[in-house]
Amino acid sequence: MNHTFLGGVHPKGRKELSRQSPLRRFDPTGEMVFPLAQHIGKPAKAIVSKNDPVLVGQRIAEADGFVSAHVISSCSGKVKAVEKRRTVSGAMSECIVIENDGLFTPLEGMGVREDVTQISVQDILGRVRDAGIIGLGGAGFPTHVKLAPKQPDKIRYVIANGAECEPYLTCNDQLMRTQAEAIVEGLELMLRLFPNAESVIGIENNKPEAIAAMEKAVTGHSRIRVLPLVTKYPQGGEHSLIQTVAGVDYPVTKLPADVGCIVENVGTIYAIERAVVFREPLFSHVITVTGEGVKEPSNFIVRDGTSFAELLEAAGGFREGVQVRKVLTGGPMMGFALSSLEIPVQKTSNALTVLLEDGCERADRQMTACLHCGRCTTVCPTGLTPQLMADAAQAGDLVRYEKKLYGLECVACGSCTYVCPAKRPLTQTFKQTKAEIMARKRAAQAGGKK
Amino acid sequence: MNTAWNLSSGPHIRDSWTTGFIMRVVFLSLVPAAAVGVAVNGLHALLVIVLAVLSSVASELVFDKLLKKPDTWLDGSAAVTGLMLALTLSPSTPLYAPVLGSVFAIIVVKCCFGGLGKNFVNPALAARCFLLISFGRSMTVYQVDGVTAATPMAELAAGRAVDITKMFLGTAGGVIGSCALALLIGGLFLWSMDFIHGQICFSVLISFTVFMGLFGGQGFDPRFLLAHLFGGGVILGAFFMATDYVTSPVSRLGQTIYGVLIGVLGAMFRIFGSSPDSFSYSVIIGNLCVPLIDTYIVSKPFAFRKAAIRAQNGEKRKPLLKRIPKPVIALTLIALLSGIALSGVYALTKDTIDEKRREASSAAYRAVVPNAESFEYADTSELAGQVYGTDYGRVYINEAVIGKDASGNVAGYAVSVTTAEGNDGDITLCIGVDADGTVNGIAFTELNETPGMGMRCGEPAFMDQFAGKNVTAFKLLKGGGAVSDHEIDAISGATVTSSAVVNAVNAGLDYCSSVLRGE
Ligand code: SF4
Ligand code: SF4
Repeated sequence: MNHTFLGGVHPKGRKELSRQSPLRRFDPTGEMVFPLAQHIGKPAKAIVSKNDPVLVGQRIAEADGFVSAHVISSCSGKVKAVEKRRTVSGAMSECIVIENDGLFTPLEGMGVREDVTQISVQDILGRVRDAGIIGLGGAGFPTHVKLAPKQPDKIRYVIANGAECEPYLTCNDQLMRTQAEAIVEGLELMLRLFPNAESVIGIENNKPEAIAAMEKAVTGHSRIRVLPLVTKYPQGGEHSLIQTVAGVDYPVTKLPADVGCIVENVGTIYAIERAVVFREPLFSHVITVTGEGVKEPSNFIVRDGTSFAELLEAAGGFREGVQVRKVLTGGPMMGFALSSLEIPVQKTSNALTVLLEDGCERADRQMTACLHCGRCTTVCPTGLTPQLMADAAQAGDLVRYEKKLYGLECVACGSCTYVCPAKRPLTQTFKQTKAEIMARKRAAQAGGKK
Repeated sequence: MNTAWNLSSGPHIRDSWTTGFIMRVVFLSLVPAAAVGVAVNGLHALLVIVLAVLSSVASELVFDKLLKKPDTWLDGSAAVTGLMLALTLSPSTPLYAPVLGSVFAIIVVKCCFGGLGKNFVNPALAARCFLLISFGRSMTVYQVDGVTAATPMAELAAGRAVDITKMFLGTAGGVIGSCALALLIGGLFLWSMDFIHGQICFSVLISFTVFMGLFGGQGFDPRFLLAHLFGGGVILGAFFMATDYVTSPVSRLGQTIYGVLIGVLGAMFRIFGSSPDSFSYSVIIGNLCVPLIDTYIVSKPFAFRKAAIRAQNGEKRKPLLKRIPKPVIALTLIALLSGIALSGVYALTKDTIDEKRREASSAAYRAVVPNAESFEYADTSELAGQVYGTDYGRVYINEAVIGKDASGNVAGYAVSVTTAEGNDGDITLCIGVDADGTVNGIAFTELNETPGMGMRCGEPAFMDQFAGKNVTAFKLLKGGGAVSDHEIDAISGATVTSSAVVNAVNAGLDYCSSVLRGE
């Protein structure tokens, strides 16, 4: 039986472009750039300075406080500079730049399997923190924080997110096919932190090979099971996944742990296994380079800090004779448009997608007045009423937007915009309105303190 | 080169459905009904449809141009409005009606309120009502083969049985879009492809049927319920009018309430009112309630609904029965009980009503077959509810009896006939015939014509003209001066009633000679 949540949309998957491309390790030659703010929380503090030698796996920036994460070098060489560079968000932000010597000399003692059967809970958390692991699914929440909720014994589900519902993306599919054993080992380690939890691996049913591989890997593990999910966007969204597995909806003001769930991306779980069992920190992860505008869509194991330009070359570059309309980090539903490829891959980058047709551009041409057809309401996985929210936002009625329509609950999944026949820019409006309301609240708070 | 890349914010892909696509599909889903309408009613119906669609689109075009608005006339919504309006018009409606209606629908109801997505009632329905109010009769007089005929709805209202199969296939008369089958196909298609919300159309249909069954006075008789469902625009209203995006509520619960409201109102109008257009009004009233519904029923995000909050707190779900609010259970029970009670009362009184009728008619039979001792009922069941023959107008054979004398020999025959061609409603009479076919006389059991005019048909001067004649059919002389046996003088100033009576007598005679006496 397949499981799912209420709402959601069925965009064209386009996964056939890259889904059979096996993971390839890619070693870049150019300079490597490591932003200090790749995660949610305070940016890390650089602990190297110009001309310092570094090795693969060496910590180059230290977490600043509990909700923060270390930054690890993925190459060997010499620190070239600590300066502002353009990053994925499009803004300039503080980065460590390393001159790559091309040798990738690793730090001593890394990558050797240790016996972890007796390892303590504290040690697991410590190794995860030392490894600089953050959620690789997108948001980048520090994993050691997520794994340390207030009441660990209240956790009922440890959910491995292998849904990969974003169209085009296939790297986690490949990871599950090839590293199923390691992922299950990672889950076993996580389960030690949560004595009363069972673990569920959610995989969309468009990945039969991955489901088969994981099914095989979990045999004999009594607390872990595989749950095939209906292929539907945003099945891999944290809210939707929890709704599917645990049957609970929760507001954005709560954390998954508040309803007894811990959700981690399969990539993150793999990183946990590498960190705890092999003492290998997080400096590389899987990524898909895909889209109709790419010559050879592929899945890579990429080193953090690699420039997207180099990565694209590894996939054959742009296809000749086509007009590229849009380049995204991430998939077409939640990804960000890039203005240049001279931007470093960071921990949360899961794809480079090159589109020949921009839906936003087409939408601008085809836009009409809202029909009140209610399709947006039907698909909203959060149960909101986008058509009314858009009306309220347009009328500037922020009180109605927030209080009556619960506009702040929007998780910006994009389903409503995707499905709207009148091509209204709903999600875009909601992101802006949310930002505006938050800014006003901060201003009001600051005013109140004075 | 990089400057050529778009930087707009996500999502970066879009579904293929556009406003125009939805409108085209809705238009297409109405085409089968329109096609049947044209096939049954002929070219005039086609003209009405074409004119309605063209003038709708043209109105929007003119409005766009005059007010220098962005071009919206091509998005297809005007064409849908036009087609929908045409389907609600009579096939013999004068050709200015669709044009005027479309202009009203588009300019007044839609564009003046801000265009697509802003109108507060369904433009097509509003236009139909506008036409009804302005031109009344020419809209509701329906013709079948050039003869004025009552619609199935009028027949139903008069309490007569109708031909459900004909209504289903659209050949029973009525508006252009009266083929229930074609409408159902279109509507179910729209629903199955998620173009319309099932909670609206099905709550309309279900609540209508249930209310009709409970309070319609005939219980859950499928023939009765189907006749009401297939007639008078219920299917068109439920699938195409009530589901209109703009004029229906936003939340699922609101949509269901709105649907039930329309269904119940529609059924109430049917039972307690007499207008054959009542379903249009109930949809319009539903439309008008939408802002109210939308104000009070705003759905909460999933996480804020009661069940979710309970789940967040780790509580178990309550059993189903406990989750339904008590007042709802109580109201449902009351409605059910009173419905059953009403149906029961009807079933009980039905017998006494029938008995009274029988007594009245057997008195009449005795009057027109005086030498009979007892009566034997002939089997007339296959005639029930059907117009008898083709030459007598809307005439129905109710009953036929064979009179026997004391020794069991046939003493004569009597036929009870109702005609709907009277000036002021139905006329029911009995014709009595001898064993050899000579008319004994006629007697009225139901005559409610204008006093001093049609009512005078009940006077001996008129009635006695039939007695003692042995003819195959009578002939009405409007100017008077009857000489031969088969000629009847009309009552001056009441030719309609006179002719209805003569036709009814002729029908009875024909039935008597061809069936009862087996000639
Ligand atoms: S999907 Fe678009 S057109 Fe339909 S109700 Fe929502 S905003 Fe309006
Ligand atoms: S973007 Fe927000 S409003 Fe739109 S579907 Fe997603 S959660 Fe609902």
